[in-house]
Amino acid sequence: MGVSYIPVARAGEVSEGKMKPIELGGRQLLLAHVDGRYFAFGRECSHEAADLDTGALEKSQIRCSNHGYCFDLASGECAVPQGGPSLTTLPVEVRGEEICVKLEW
Amino acid sequence: MAYDLLIKSGRIYDGSGMPSYLGDVAVSGGRIAEIGRISGGAARTIDAAGLAVAPGFIDHHTHMDAQIFWDPYATSEPQHGVTSIVMGNCGLTLAPTKPSDHDALVKSFVRVEAMPRSVLELGVPWGWHTYGEYLDALDGKIGVNVGGLVGHIAVRQYAMGEESVERAATAQEIAQMKRLVLDAMESGALGFSTNRNERHMREDGKPVGSRLADDEELFGLCQVLGELNSGVIETILGLNKIEHFKFYDRLARVTGRPILWQSLQHRWAEPDLWRQQLDAVAPIFEDGYQAYGLSHTVPLVRHFTLKNCQVFDEFPTWKALMFLPVEARREALKDPATRKKMRADFAEPRKTNFHRRWDVVQVEKCAKPENRKYAGKSVAEMAALRGQDPLDAFLDLALEENLDTVFQNANNGGDSAAMGEILRSPYVLMGTSDAGAHVQFGADFGYGTTLLGLWVRERRLLTLEHAIHKLTFHIASVFGLAGRGLLRPGYAADLAIFDPQTVGSHEPEWAEDYPGNTKRLIQRSDGMHWTIVNGRPIFANGKLTGDLPGHILRGTSYRGRQAAAA
Repeated sequence: MGVSYIPVARAGEVSEGKMKPIELGGRQLLLAHVDGRYFAFGRECSHEAADLDTGALEKSQIRCSNHGYCFDLASGECAVPQGGPSLTTLPVEVRGEEICVKLEW
Repeated sequence: MAYDLLIKSGRIYDGSGMPSYLGDVAVSGGRIAEIGRISGGAARTIDAAGLAVAPGFIDHHTHMDAQIFWDPYATSEPQHGVTSIVMGNCGLTLAPTKPSDHDALVKSFVRVEAMPRSVLELGVPWGWHTYGEYLDALDGKIGVNVGGLVGHIAVRQYAMGEESVERAATAQEIAQMKRLVLDAMESGALGFSTNRNERHMREDGKPVGSRLADDEELFGLCQVLGELNSGVIETILGLNKIEHFKFYDRLARVTGRPILWQSLQHRWAEPDLWRQQLDAVAPIFEDGYQAYGLSHTVPLVRHFTLKNCQVFDEFPTWKALMFLPVEARREALKDPATRKKMRADFAEPRKTNFHRRWDVVQVEKCAKPENRKYAGKSVAEMAALRGQDPLDAFLDLALEENLDTVFQNANNGGDSAAMGEILRSPYVLMGTSDAGAHVQFGADFGYGTTLLGLWVRERRLLTLEHAIHKLTFHIASVFGLAGRGLLRPGYAADLAIFDPQTVGSHEPEWAEDYPGNTKRLIQRSDGMHWTIVNGRPIFANGKLTGDLPGHILRGTSYRGRQAAAA
């Protein structure tokens, strides 16, 4: 039971509309910067495990380039097709000059 | 010499599903000449003692439309005993086409089938116009037998140009599309494929054209096959829903043709869906119509340790823990209060992909010698041996081993009982390899060798005879491939010769063998000794032979055949 803020990037390090691969607890994630907000999500597509680093950011969604599954960056919900398996997402907070993933258990 | 080829002393699995038997197979002129105890000589003899001799496997769900031009073996198909492939699935084909529409077709393949654009630009030697010309462009240049469906997306693009991705078709355009489908079928297409999957867009974000077809158009085009009494109708509607069966039922009744629908597999997220699908399709067959479901044989297995684990990401407490630094994670996992929260997470009633069943999660490998007795057991079994609650046993075992214990879980295709019923169902067509597509994301060339190795040999869910029937004659019958899929005198000598004790498939691996040395995933096999096409080996003891004996597989309404018969 606790809360932890883990820095994953410096402010300004990830340009608007871009993604950066990050590692957290030995796992691979992507940090995306969209419309001034940061999103952290698992690098593997929840459909068939394709690498989302080759996916496309489309507004507040990421589209997997393998089978076209689209996920909401904030909630991880599968938008296309609706009802598909959700993507792993983690809350992100900007704390001063640091972009941090918030872990709460 | 009496024969071109003699395969001696194998065990013959003839594709019918009947009991296997010991015997020889003689081949002359690309066809099976004789089966049994054969004493005549041959130009070449293969000793098949201890091996199974079966009809070559038929991979009916590929997207090899482009790859077959630069790779006449459609690798890694021969490595897995495949002698015939069918392309043109999911509405996507490279014909018919006009030069001005080439890029539109490429746009669909790039996005829907995840093929690198550069590869298609470098590797497709455009030059055909009609479907028949496309097949002719391959004739004499292929190692495996190749047949194809004509795709709705190409037909619509031909008739409507870029309007095909914008609007419904007019009556005049539908009439033209019908003529194009008729021409393709009479040129040798094995059927027609369409696509209503909401995910399927072109590279430019526009829906693939077939998605804009109303029922009048779609049923009109399919009825061309009905009137010809020829060919299969292959469909993809998107996420599996039971209401889709009304559509399959109607299409099957209107056309009288076999309908192929995608797809069914056991998934723990919807553990009864596969049964509901089989229950929904049964009345169609009982009424005398055909609507075959396509199924995978390859389970999506996750191997994980608690150092690197995403299996539990749907559960907030578990997810946060699995992203903590390992030392902090280890401490947290020991904490009874944390465990209480983890347990509460699991208990919350909601739909998840993870099944929350400790009898399904397996201990794969233990780090400490004293724990190796747990390997191969489920977490539930391991917990019972330790006299613990499963969740505590799972966490304690991992903690004892510095989180290095390897577990495995399959959310899809992992339930043997369900897989057995699916694989044995006569309403299920085996194989959704998607070969030639998604080439940088996965490779399922080994769906057949996985069936034979995992589900037949290891799990004993069906007999080898039955499995081979499902990979060969079952498919040849549905697709109307005359003279293939069985071992019988007069049938094409398409053969897979393998060791039933070792046959299986490897994990996919990277190769740089696409145009421009582009990377893609290939897949090796175990136990496949010979793959023979029309009496000539194309794969022998681990290597491609360089021979190109493949034929174009043309459907029953091929006008050349009709003319010859007349």
